[in-house]
Amino acid sequence: MGHRSSSSVGALAAAAAGTWDRFWFTPSTAARLAVVRALAGLLGLLLAWSWAGDLDAWFGPDGIVSPQVLEAWRSPTALSLFDVARSSAAVWALYLVGVGLLGMLAVGAWTPIAAPLAALFWASLLHRGPMLVGPADDVLAVILWCLVVGRSGDAFSVDRRLAAADARPSWRNGLALALLRLHASVIAAAAVVAQLKADVWWNGTAAWWLAARESTRVDLTGVFAGSEIATNLVTHAIVLFEIAFAAGVWNRWTRGPVARAGLVGWPLIGLVAGEPMWGAAMAILAWACLPDDSAAETAWPPL
Amino acid sequence: MPTGPEEGAERGHERAAGSLPETLRGPATLLLGLYLVGLFLCVAGNTASGTSLLIGTIIDRLFAPWMVPLWLDLGHDTRLTYGLPEDADHHLEIRLAGKLAGKLAGKGVGRPTAALRLPTDGDHSERAARWRRLAAAAVLAEEDAEQAGVLPAAIGAGSFAAAGDDDLEIRIVRTSPPDYASARSPRSDETALEVRVRRRDGELQLIPMPPAEEVAPLIDAAPAPGGGN
Repeated sequence: MGHRSSSSVGALAAAAAGTWDRFWFTPSTAARLAVVRALAGLLGLLLAWSWAGDLDAWFGPDGIVSPQVLEAWRSPTALSLFDVARSSAAVWALYLVGVGLLGMLAVGAWTPIAAPLAALFWASLLHRGPMLVGPADDVLAVILWCLVVGRSGDAFSVDRRLAAADARPSWRNGLALALLRLHASVIAAAAVVAQLKADVWWNGTAAWWLAARESTRVDLTGVFAGSEIATNLVTHAIVLFEIAFAAGVWNRWTRGPVARAGLVGWPLIGLVAGEPMWGAAMAILAWACLPDDSAAETAWPPL
Repeated sequence: MPTGPEEGAERGHERAAGSLPETLRGPATLLLGLYLVGLFLCVAGNTASGTSLLIGTIIDRLFAPWMVPLWLDLGHDTRLTYGLPEDADHHLEIRLAGKLAGKLAGKGVGRPTAALRLPTDGDHSERAARWRRLAAAAVLAEEDAEQAGVLPAAIGAGSFAAAGDDDLEIRIVRTSPPDYASARSPRSDETALEVRVRRRDGELQLIPMPPAEEVAPLIDAAPAPGGGN
């Protein structure tokens, strides 16, 4: 009896270890991760552009986000490369280097170097102005660090064109994709938990509060003002979608449909919520969640 | 357990298949486990509801030193909206205060009430969103003893050169949508924060300005023509 129970515990532990290994360490080709890399690089460039116009006003020697402001705002363990940039020229130089790194990431040039440096630049930029950071910046930071783990330059890249990259499957790609899937689910679940603390997400009027803001890009106020049912429907649909996404990416039957729905659903939610960049960042995570069997298994051949 | 040539052949096979070498599986699992605990605690500890002292202490001691610099200590609590005033759009208005404003008004050169508005109306870009976040953060910070007044003072100090004067009024305006029950009503503007920032003898001074409704109305002492009430 005791021997049988100990052997079944051992079998369970072995099965759990096998599941763990399969989830995290299954080798994967770089194709899917390479698309994530290119999209993240482009999104990074777009988001970086939104800092450019006010770089001096915020971070210059007489800028608003002064060292005194940072002292009151930042965690004591926070660090930023921009902290050492004391002049306007130094801030701009650092910024342009970062933009260059994001561009290199987008095209997959010297990816093993560009990926960690781009992630470091992004974290530094956000730490330099934490009160200016939006949800899209946060999600991009997560994606960039996940890309550091994988070999995303092995496909659809300048590296591959120059044959500096190896197109064989790698456990590092599998691990990076697993981390992206985990974060996609966690971010969706955390958003739902945060939203459901407020009455507006229960009584169905949250969509109105999103659409009626001055900053919203798609004016749905006419539709919502004319139909309470439509307002309720959109509010509840957002919550249900987020729940379905957070849970659905873990089941092999629902993962594909949920991830594909995410490619459309997240950008739509982003538009309604006035956070289109966040919607785009979440769509990139949805792409990373697609099952491998639907992945493009091709990579650009070397020259 | 394979030994000698067998072990070498197995490693070669692992490399060819792109698998994680068996020797690295344990350390990789350990690192992953550590990160997953950190991720869970950051989500649990960064909610708008606050966090327990225990979780806060664990995060500060064990995880913040390496997760904060990487910008990975995220709660991901993207609530989108709670329909509260703090979720409304905020913008900055910066205008001249003090003597220069008076001189300009006296010479008819512009109105002293003319203000630089950030972001400008109708700007839906991500750049505009960052200014809105800055304005909202300044208002929200008034509830925090350490952060109160810091941003308005910095906004003022950062605008002196552009304004050409060391005495400015900083006003943060909140544009709230109407309730759903009165959906056809226009949005309403209200002053969420108003301060005067000036530099005197190199020292930055922050002078809070009371909300308009708290200022006693001016009453004309002279009787109205006709003497009626």
